[in-house]
Amino acid sequence: MDLSVLEALERDKVLEVLQRDKVLRSLEEERIRKMKSELQEIRRKGAKSFARQYSERTCARCQRPLGKLWNCGATCRGCSHRICSRCRVAITARDWKCTVCHAYRDVKIKSGEWFLEERAKKYPGVSDRHETTGERILKSYRSLSNIAIVPPTPPPFTQTPSFNRSGGLQTSRPFTKSMENLFVSLTSHMKKISKSQNDVNAEQTLLTTDSCSYRKERRSQSDTAINCPFEVGGAPSLSELVRQARAQEGAESSQACTDDDTYQGAELQLEKRGSVGSIGAGLGGHDPNSSRAGDIELALGYSGRTSCLEVSVRACRNLPYGDAKRKKCHPCVKLHLLPDGGKQKTAVKRNTTDPVFKETLEFKMERPLLASRTLQASVWHSGTLKRKVFLGEALVPLGGWDFEEDSARWLPLCPPAQTGDLQGRGPVEQQSRTLQIKVRFSSSPPAVQEPRAAPPSRGGSLVGQLAVQVTGATNMAVDKSPGAVHSSVKGVLALPGGVQLAQESGVQSLSSGSPWDHSLVFSAVPTAGLQGACLQLSLYDHTPLGLKPRLLGRSTLEEGLSWQRVQQTPNTWHDFGLPFLASDAVQRT
Amino acid sequence: MFCAVSTMTDGDYDYLIKLLALGDSGVGKTTFLYRYTDNKFNPKFITTVGIDFREKRVVYTATNSNGTTGKTFKVHLQLWDTAGQERFRSLTTAFFRDAMGFLLMFDLTSQQSFLNVRNWMSQLQANAYCENPDIVLVGNKADLADQREVQEKQAKELADKYGIPYFETSAATGSEVDKAVITLLDLVMKRMEQCVDKPTQDAPNGDGASKLAAPPSNEKSVHARPNLLPPLPNLTPPPTTLAGPPPHG
Repeated sequence: MDLSVLEALERDKVLEVLQRDKVLRSLEEERIRKMKSELQEIRRKGAKSFARQYSERTCARCQRPLGKLWNCGATCRGCSHRICSRCRVAITARDWKCTVCHAYRDVKIKSGEWFLEERAKKYPGVSDRHETTGERILKSYRSLSNIAIVPPTPPPFTQTPSFNRSGGLQTSRPFTKSMENLFVSLTSHMKKISKSQNDVNAEQTLLTTDSCSYRKERRSQSDTAINCPFEVGGAPSLSELVRQARAQEGAESSQACTDDDTYQGAELQLEKRGSVGSIGAGLGGHDPNSSRAGDIELALGYSGRTSCLEVSVRACRNLPYGDAKRKKCHPCVKLHLLPDGGKQKTAVKRNTTDPVFKETLEFKMERPLLASRTLQASVWHSGTLKRKVFLGEALVPLGGWDFEEDSARWLPLCPPAQTGDLQGRGPVEQQSRTLQIKVRFSSSPPAVQEPRAAPPSRGGSLVGQLAVQVTGATNMAVDKSPGAVHSSVKGVLALPGGVQLAQESGVQSLSSGSPWDHSLVFSAVPTAGLQGACLQLSLYDHTPLGLKPRLLGRSTLEEGLSWQRVQQTPNTWHDFGLPFLASDAVQRT
Repeated sequence: MFCAVSTMTDGDYDYLIKLLALGDSGVGKTTFLYRYTDNKFNPKFITTVGIDFREKRVVYTATNSNGTTGKTFKVHLQLWDTAGQERFRSLTTAFFRDAMGFLLMFDLTSQQSFLNVRNWMSQLQANAYCENPDIVLVGNKADLADQREVQEKQAKELADKYGIPYFETSAATGSEVDKAVITLLDLVMKRMEQCVDKPTQDAPNGDGASKLAAPPSNEKSVHARPNLLPPLPNLTPPPTTLAGPPPHG
């Protein structure tokens, strides 16, 4: 079977159908939204809530007093409140519910929530259970039609022989599975695995294009990612769309790793588990280092009804003193939904390093959007008359969060200032003001090198390509106002002998919690010169309003040992956490 | 119980029900749906590219527990049509998970299409939203009596084995087409109620008896059917191809 026979015409036909479906879907979403707001209204009217204590002898809905012998009410099976006979709605001859529970039940049926719930039982762990296959394929089309510009042909491994389905229909399972495995490395917008996708990109670029055109592509990608539903050039085939959509589906459900594992190959599971695990370790595990700023207990939930992310700030423990001299601490917690989801604040608790907040803060945001957001919980000491003192923070990338599991978790708080090597740290345990980069040196035969930029190679020494990826910057959002970081990176590689190579990445709008993807490729770097090299990276913020990109920070990699490592093990990525240079040095330039 | 209403461009409906037709290529899924939505017949065979859907709005009258008719609701039907061709299989099966009910069709004049029903059932089990979704078995092209290869008894037996209703329809004449869709819709509507009322079973008095108190539709109570679908053999060999190793080794 050859999937490549799905020609562009067929793809367009399917996309057309999916567009029609999208219209219907938006109609449906609007209807559901209305319905839910009506339900909200009904709930508000039926006032009794769990939070307050009422006397046993009133109806929970109309608050009319209930008698002891007659009209004594009965317990609603939905909410367990005592309800008078007037506030009941019969479902069947024997079964009834109170008005609020009935309205809730009604909405659950009419909105199709029942279906999503049932499906979630079979496919637990799918992060966005509202997303339909059609939606996913349209999304894949968008992202793939952008990616597809980079590799002129689909990646070689798409032509695996495992498509053979001669064994009948049942064999499509391994088919699906293998495709999921393959495309895990290509799914772009799933942040959890976007790293591997970036790597694919970068590698292909190294092989096929020079850094200049690569830069251009990156830029066009980030530009068009905002709104470019249909591009003609380099659009993916229908089969690719299906594969990617299915891959995402698989990747999502594999998070749960329940008995539905037949879908997933072992490798995929391993990989996924790894990434989820690293988040989990960052969240639940306790840092063996003592340099912590206490812990914060958070519970996250998503209310589909109000389309709100609900963050329950339970408590903190072992906080440092905000006012160390007087041993005072008046903590409060600020929540930011990075990069652009607004902020919320708890009340200030006085004189405690183990405050109990028990506050639920809500962020209005559609669920699919959450995956690309990071929740930043920062703890502040609120001194009277003085500025707030930052005590610590925890970052929770929401892409990997299982909202269905509603248990609270203790997360370690990272103290405001900490230095040291970032290696081996998960993305959650951020430290202050460092630029996280990956460096790879690949010595390649000189034939591949473009002669233009090649510096005089001394003594016939080999030249190679130095690829640098900026994967993130920590605590940038604390220092600047939270909001999407439209960032770019400029890199200058200074080699001994006065040769300087400059590269600039495209502008990307990414939050500090999600992996970045600024790639710089320096070609024709002499292997011998690497030891004495100095790489200076400048991070710029391109705010939509600003005329000139703002310099956010600057870091250098000049340590001889680091370069030695890069040079001695070529063709592998080396991680570095570069501290930002002191701010005064930044301002000077 | 159902009747069609004409206007359907607005969001003024009570339920959006998504059904999906599946079955071998050429059994008449597209013409079946065309007959149902537009009451027309197109004898030409135009193969469906991947996936398509049609819409129809109907009015549903709920049946009360005592058998009287209750409230009426407007139901917007989204009827997904899938390509039967093998090469679209990965696309079409991906859409199974979004459908609430299924019209599993075969061609009464093609024994092979009937034999494949079993395969389609396992596809459904694997890809649908739950292990035992609401399905109606449809033998189409009943009007071509002289070319018939599948006997009603045979098909009925298979349907009984799965515990699903069976209809012999003709998109050409329109016979039983509405009935098949409506039966499926009815099953889905009942399923919805069942699903939301399930959690109340631990309450003192009902424990699910109320569910069955409603008289079954024109078919037998399908939800009570045992799960007769044999579990799929575990066909997952170790993956042959790997995504590249993580970049930083």
